[in-house]
Amino acid sequence: MRHNGGSAYLTLVRLRDPTVLGRGRTAMKSSLPAQNRVRWLAAMLARLLPFVPALVCSADEAPRPAPPAAAPLHELVDQQIGAALASKGIAPAARAGDAEFLRRVYLDLTGSIPTLGEAKAFLDDKSPIKRQQLVDRLLNSPEYARQMQRVFDVVLMERRPAQHVGQAPWEEYLRNAFAANKPWDALVREILAADGADPNLRPAARFYLDRGGEPNLLARDVGRLFLGRDMQCAQCHDHPLVATYLQTDYYGLLAFFNRSFLFTPKTEPKAVVFAEKAEGDVAFKSVFVANATDQPARPHLPGEKEADEPQFEKGQEYAVAPADDVRPIPKYSRRSQLPVVLPRGENVAFRRNIANRLWALMMGRGLVHPLDMQHDANPPSHPALLDLLGERFAVMGFDIKAFLRELALSETYQRSSELPPGVEALAAEAFAVAPLKPLSAEQLGLAALQATGITDVYRASLGPTLNEATLHEKVAANLPGFVGVFAGQAGQPEQDFQSTLEQTLFMANGGVLRSWIAPQAGNLVDRLNRVTEPAAVAEQLYLCVLSRLPTAEEAAEFTACLQARAQDRPAAIQEWIWALLASDEFRFNH
Amino acid sequence: MERYLTCGAPEHCLSRRSLLAGMLGAGAGLTHVAGLSHFIQPALAADLAAQQKRVLIFFMAGGLSQLESWDPKPNTDTGGPFRAIPTSVPGTHICELLPFTAQQMHRLCLVRGVNTAEDDHGKGAVFMETGRRDSPAQRYPALGSVVSRLVAPPTSALPGYVHIQPGGGGVNKADAAFLGPKFASITIGNGQPPANLLRPGDLTPAADQQRNDVRLKANQRFTARRRTAETEAYGASYDQARQLVERADVFDVTKESAQDQERYGSHDFGRHCLLARRLLEQGLTCVKVTHTNYDSHSENFDFHIEQLGEFDRPFATLIDDLAQRGMLDSTLVIVMSEFGRTPKINHLFGRDHWSKAWSVMLAGCGLQKGAVIGKTNENGTAVVDREVDARHLFHTYLRAVGTDGTANYPGLNRPIPIGDPAGEAIEELLA
Repeated sequence: MRHNGGSAYLTLVRLRDPTVLGRGRTAMKSSLPAQNRVRWLAAMLARLLPFVPALVCSADEAPRPAPPAAAPLHELVDQQIGAALASKGIAPAARAGDAEFLRRVYLDLTGSIPTLGEAKAFLDDKSPIKRQQLVDRLLNSPEYARQMQRVFDVVLMERRPAQHVGQAPWEEYLRNAFAANKPWDALVREILAADGADPNLRPAARFYLDRGGEPNLLARDVGRLFLGRDMQCAQCHDHPLVATYLQTDYYGLLAFFNRSFLFTPKTEPKAVVFAEKAEGDVAFKSVFVANATDQPARPHLPGEKEADEPQFEKGQEYAVAPADDVRPIPKYSRRSQLPVVLPRGENVAFRRNIANRLWALMMGRGLVHPLDMQHDANPPSHPALLDLLGERFAVMGFDIKAFLRELALSETYQRSSELPPGVEALAAEAFAVAPLKPLSAEQLGLAALQATGITDVYRASLGPTLNEATLHEKVAANLPGFVGVFAGQAGQPEQDFQSTLEQTLFMANGGVLRSWIAPQAGNLVDRLNRVTEPAAVAEQLYLCVLSRLPTAEEAAEFTACLQARAQDRPAAIQEWIWALLASDEFRFNH
Repeated sequence: MERYLTCGAPEHCLSRRSLLAGMLGAGAGLTHVAGLSHFIQPALAADLAAQQKRVLIFFMAGGLSQLESWDPKPNTDTGGPFRAIPTSVPGTHICELLPFTAQQMHRLCLVRGVNTAEDDHGKGAVFMETGRRDSPAQRYPALGSVVSRLVAPPTSALPGYVHIQPGGGGVNKADAAFLGPKFASITIGNGQPPANLLRPGDLTPAADQQRNDVRLKANQRFTARRRTAETEAYGASYDQARQLVERADVFDVTKESAQDQERYGSHDFGRHCLLARRLLEQGLTCVKVTHTNYDSHSENFDFHIEQLGEFDRPFATLIDDLAQRGMLDSTLVIVMSEFGRTPKINHLFGRDHWSKAWSVMLAGCGLQKGAVIGKTNENGTAVVDREVDARHLFHTYLRAVGTDGTANYPGLNRPIPIGDPAGEAIEELLA
């Protein structure tokens, strides 16, 4: 387990002593000289250690008792999934072949498929640890950071249009966070603390600002995205079926935001910030109860107690009083309590939510599914495993790379998507066979660009200036067409797979894909046209588009086709490229 | 909590039973199914097609004046310059700007007590189209998407919901909200067919067939041990697209007779009405036609002369044609706006936004013919009888097309009632 720099202490402190955090990392740093800080932290650590044997970080600096489970997390995952399968008498699918694993892990960790060279190199590699080496290489690639940027852009913003924060700075902010492997709790803390005033952290404020600062929307989305609980229905009443979805908890979340509003300075109308008043209370009553009286709610996380709030004398509530074109600053900010109390290791809902979401990213569905329906009436398929994942992720300091690495190394992840012989069907939540994950709009576009060799053309054109950033710039210009057609509706969570008429017509008759398949110097069809031996053409075709070699049967069919169509060989090759791009095998990460 | 199988798309409903038949441990979420080589998409029987319910929505964008249309108040301080004329229903009068429509009144019904209390264009449209008040935290699907999801035959090659409007085309995913883009409206902008419907010139039908054969063979291999609801849905959408490409002239209104084109009029709205008839006749489930320019804050009366002058004849012709063809009994027709217009006439001879007392017109699908439900006071400033809002109307639409709006959506992974539980259908309108 790795940590960035000195954050190990702080991770530990955050895990065990939330009151420290209220003063903030910066406060600690600024108020203590460097040498004192080390001593202070060591003292803090020593004070905390006896209470936290199970949650101790693996920081090299800290004395560490033996971890409760010495086995790596991926083995624990396989043990728990395997035990559940054994208890039900289910035989899981075989291990995925190298090509299946290769395509899967490229799509999951970089968002695209491998190049011809990368595919060949991996398939030819004889090393017994080549899968692990590949996972490590991909996790440390710039493509990983960009892919995680795309994934978490959709998770956090759900394809809402940029309003007050540009899409580009937001993406850069996310990408830098994942490139630096910023711990999840730190990232969430930054997002929940941002108000848009600090230029360095303005992109982080997009979560609030581009939801218009709307309290109900923020309460709902904080619940859904950071705690795994969609409490929308508790806006009007306690959930009739779910004992833990209480109206008071919805309004407890709402109360963090009810005093907040978007403030637009007259002199700088674009510098909208998320401001807050010192007054305003939340009260609710159930629509199910006749003549219900208003119940007050103060800020609190679901299931937790309301905290006491400091009281100020009338006229003394503000550090900066409201005035014309002045952003008020209250002495006590309700909203700023949220980044203190929510993103913490001991917040079970917080750690389970992110563990479940990262699991779903790799395994195709959550241990709790849907991802924002974590409640008593919708139990996890593997309760102990979800607990374990949440706990371990917290102990790992919410190290996303390390966590994804463990998932990728598990046998559960590395199963084939083919059912075992004789088995007719397997339940998805058994994780006995690899799922077919529909490619996201971006994955589909990027994979099609790579498959058709357009990305290779860009690589060649960049010559010595080729790197991930320069290549991305060229490739990204092609994506809006795909994203417009394949992405879901803004403001709606990613849905279960649907295939629309618009999408299929785009694939079948659209000019974008046709232009990529038409010959141009260096693209796939152009390269294949120069290869004479049909078997060699078939090999390159299947490796480029499907990241695998053709089977003997496929190669024979292809060869027969080329021989029969000697007159219009290039057209035949184009038809095959299209057919493979439009195939199920391409559409899904399998 | 109920666990739903597969992805909940309706095309699986038919095959799901056969899937389950061979399954142990029913109730578990399925991912992989192998060995089922015969997925038969049952063809729609003719009698089923005859019972197929359809919806035709006229959206009078900007806010049609109820006083210049369905609820005239002549000779009052708010009445304006127009007369009320008798209709084919004795005792029922509408504005003289709708003489052709007046002759269809025995097939129509008027809801004159609408109070939606929402004077904002965007929010008013959301309330009227989704049957729920606009809420920042939750958007509900529009009627057309609901009908596309619940009523449209899942095996049809035609899209379930088409929106005809002046201006640009495209897909409005917001319409479908959580039902997903499959049920979004496909917009026919100025009569242009959906994007990429026509095969590109350099792709011959033969080449298209050849490449498709290769695709099918590849899929057959891939799904032999990997068949899922998702691969089924993906494959079905290619079949649908291929069928529709062959039937691309469904969207071509010039294929209608010259006589019909003359009857509907040579202007855009007339052509849009004729296209709507064509689409409904071909089996499309929900068509929405937008007629614009009703936001008459000034010169209200001139605008309504012009707009309703364009609207009246093709609308009445379409109602008549649907009735003559026996389709009106299975087609729900709605004329709605975001809201109505103020009884008070402003100093620019305009009327402003007004949602407190306005009218919606309904017809077909077994609704009471010639009925007038609800009443406003003498000068139209308030509802005095049978007040309803968009929630009641929405439940009424759903009941008319044979759907229970008090139920939850099927196939979603969380319980969401189709209609707002705070509303109920207007029973006296339903036969």
